[in-house]
Amino acid sequence: MATQAHRPSARSLPCSLALRAGWLFCFVAISCLCVAGPANAHTPDPMAKLASKQYGEAAAATVRAWRAMIEETRALPDHIKLRHANDFINGRIRFESDLAVWRQADYWATPLELFGKQAGDCEDFAITKYVTLRAQGIPAEKLRLVYVHARIGAGNPGQAHHMVLSYYETPAAEPLILDSLVGEILPAGRRSDLFPIFSFNHEGPRAREAARSSADATARLSRWRGVLARMRGEGLDLS
Amino acid sequence: MSLIKQLWIAIVAITFVALGGSLAVGTLTARQYLEQQLNIKNQDNASVMATALTSQLLNDPDPVNLELQITAQFDVGHYRAIRLTAPDGAVIVDLRSDPRIDEVPEWFVRLTAIREQPGVAHVTDKWQQFGTLALESHTGYVYAALWHSIGQLLLWFLVTVAAAGCIGSLLLSRVTAPLRTLVNHAQAIGERRFIVTPEPGAAELKVVVRAMNALSERVRQMLADEAQRLEHLRRQVQEDALTGLLERRQFLNALAARLADPDAPARGALLILRICRLNEVNRDLGRTGADQLLRALARTLEGDPDAVAGRLNGSDFALLAPPAADIEPWARATAARLHDVAGRHADAAPLALPVAAVLYGQDDTVANILARLDTALAEAELEGGRALRIDTLGETAAPRTQEQWRDILTAALAENGFHLGTTPVRALQGKNRLIHNEAPVDLLAAGVTIKSGDFLPWAARFGLTGRLGLAAIRAALERIHAGDKPVALTISALAFQDGHFVTELIALLRASPRLARRLWLEVPEDGIARDPGAFHAFCLAIKPLASKLGIKHAGPRFSALGDLHDLGLDYIKIDASLLHDIDGNEGNQSFVRSLAMLAHALGLTVIAEGIDRPEQQETLVDLGFDAIRDQGSEFLHDS
Repeated sequence: MATQAHRPSARSLPCSLALRAGWLFCFVAISCLCVAGPANAHTPDPMAKLASKQYGEAAAATVRAWRAMIEETRALPDHIKLRHANDFINGRIRFESDLAVWRQADYWATPLELFGKQAGDCEDFAITKYVTLRAQGIPAEKLRLVYVHARIGAGNPGQAHHMVLSYYETPAAEPLILDSLVGEILPAGRRSDLFPIFSFNHEGPRAREAARSSADATARLSRWRGVLARMRGEGLDLS
Repeated sequence: MSLIKQLWIAIVAITFVALGGSLAVGTLTARQYLEQQLNIKNQDNASVMATALTSQLLNDPDPVNLELQITAQFDVGHYRAIRLTAPDGAVIVDLRSDPRIDEVPEWFVRLTAIREQPGVAHVTDKWQQFGTLALESHTGYVYAALWHSIGQLLLWFLVTVAAAGCIGSLLLSRVTAPLRTLVNHAQAIGERRFIVTPEPGAAELKVVVRAMNALSERVRQMLADEAQRLEHLRRQVQEDALTGLLERRQFLNALAARLADPDAPARGALLILRICRLNEVNRDLGRTGADQLLRALARTLEGDPDAVAGRLNGSDFALLAPPAADIEPWARATAARLHDVAGRHADAAPLALPVAAVLYGQDDTVANILARLDTALAEAELEGGRALRIDTLGETAAPRTQEQWRDILTAALAENGFHLGTTPVRALQGKNRLIHNEAPVDLLAAGVTIKSGDFLPWAARFGLTGRLGLAAIRAALERIHAGDKPVALTISALAFQDGHFVTELIALLRASPRLARRLWLEVPEDGIARDPGAFHAFCLAIKPLASKLGIKHAGPRFSALGDLHDLGLDYIKIDASLLHDIDGNEGNQSFVRSLAMLAHALGLTVIAEGIDRPEQQETLVDLGFDAIRDQGSEFLHDS
């Protein structure tokens, strides 16, 4: 499993200047890779068009299917939305390390990138699920991306940094956990293998701003704000 | 507005726009940068603190410890507010500090108004939402940083402005130096000083300067040619062909002019030499020998540059004594020199060379002087041989001694014992407008008036010319101040050659420029001819002070004056000796007409120093004169 690999990105959550400088270089490289321009408003699904252009028809089909699933479930109750989203993503995307997919130690992919590569690691899953649920109409307050400390497998002494998406029915409720490694959506109480470390969503002025505009140069310096800004560039507006 | 001023304004404006713009841009950039840094700090700090709180809740769920940790961060950190809100909206922790910002003025805070975004992060208690953490940093340091950076920018701004000013003025002075020369050149031409300046490097200016130089050169050339032509003409009409002395008519004109000259000494002496029986001399010495004798006598008579020599007819020579000559010794010495020369040329034939001298006063006329001279000469002739007869008018009073003169002059200087006369000079046409009042300087000593022609030679001997000149100038300025009419004053050659006098004169004129403008300074032609260089320097020194400059007694030695084209002279007074009898003297008419034309070409006002009959004014107008010295009611008559 990819999550067993040592992951420097999670470790660097407290602001470390050297690593942030490293990120800067990563993102400069990524900016060069991602030449996608802003979506054309006249085509029905600019994201699908972009996927076709950058990753081929298979990716475009995935995007269209994803769009269709979102449209179909928009009116359904939250737990149905969760299941559809979880199944869609867990079913279509292979779990692979960033090193294998992106040839980088750590890379946060946007939904388009994930669908394009058809593979990703835990935070790529969590991000795309988060975006999917938001698109289905679930408010941001109910969702959190959570860094967790995962104890993997019985009798396995290795521990891994992992990321999941949690859903709070109410602010005080026990959350439901959408995991890339576990197909089933389980309440947090049943995931004794996970210990939450830090959670976030795109509330707060900085992240909201990054999702609104990709022009702010500092957005690239933060992975989360960077991925939000790139999404915006690919035609996904979370605000 | 002058070109230089406009250039200056342009430099200042450009500097201010450039630096003011960079100050504004610099401030805005700094503000944006600081704002960005502040907001990143807020977000990062919020995330860090939320992570710490989450992990603390994982190990130790005591809310008191949680609050303590937030307070500790708040106290040691730079925060304006930290607020932790439960999911239901209840405030768990709310810490605020004084939002006041010291060391930065209120208006500056309002003007720059940094948009701060609070950093927001979530705190969880295991899987449960615990609260939302929002924190804001204190913006005081941002404003302070901005304030100081603007202060620094302003300082550089000032330094740059000063540097730009220095460089600008250097640059301007380099660029405009040739322009200034050009302007001065144009101004000089406007003041009738046809000067030549070196050509500047700039191509455009070079063309202009070259053209102006060519103009000056043409004027100089014209003047030189004309002066030469005039001299030739003068010789033709005024001089005796054989000896080069003035012929009778011109000599008598000179005598009449001296009698009429208010500056001339009160007493003068005239000497006459007759070569008796010239026919026999011709026969004895041969024509050539006789001519040689005549020429040698003429050279002897010309020996003194201050005296005027003439040949009255074939056998009579006349000599007008220099000013302040003491008649008896002067006549004796002159006669001795003449007899000596004659002896050397004609020792074979005993030559009868009677000499007579008369003393005359200014109230004498040419006719009665000549009559007395004839009488004296007849007596000398009667005596025979080389007799000398001196007619002193019966004046027995011994002349003043050197000591007496010294006393008189020092007393006059000490007590300001001068009297400035008034001889108006009026325009010939129009309503006889007053041009200026000529002011001959008289000296008052013990109730006796001494004319400048008398005392000036003594003043020169005692080295008092400069002091006397300055006293006269002061008196003239006072009179201008009182009467507001222009006054013309004679500056003798000895005065303008005296550096101290010139320096003092400049100081005097500079001290009262309004009066200086009404002062006309005139220098006698023979004085200039003696030292044209000093006169040149004098004109250049006086010209900027706005006083008028002129030549008086002009004509007889005009060709010896040197370059006049670049002096900026204002007027010329033509000597009375050229104007006496002018209506009947065609030779002098053509000379004077040429002189007046030349003077007009240089832009000078042409003034006549005297005529002998009022109807001659018509002739003067015809000859091109602009003005004439008032003759009063008395006119002198030639014999």
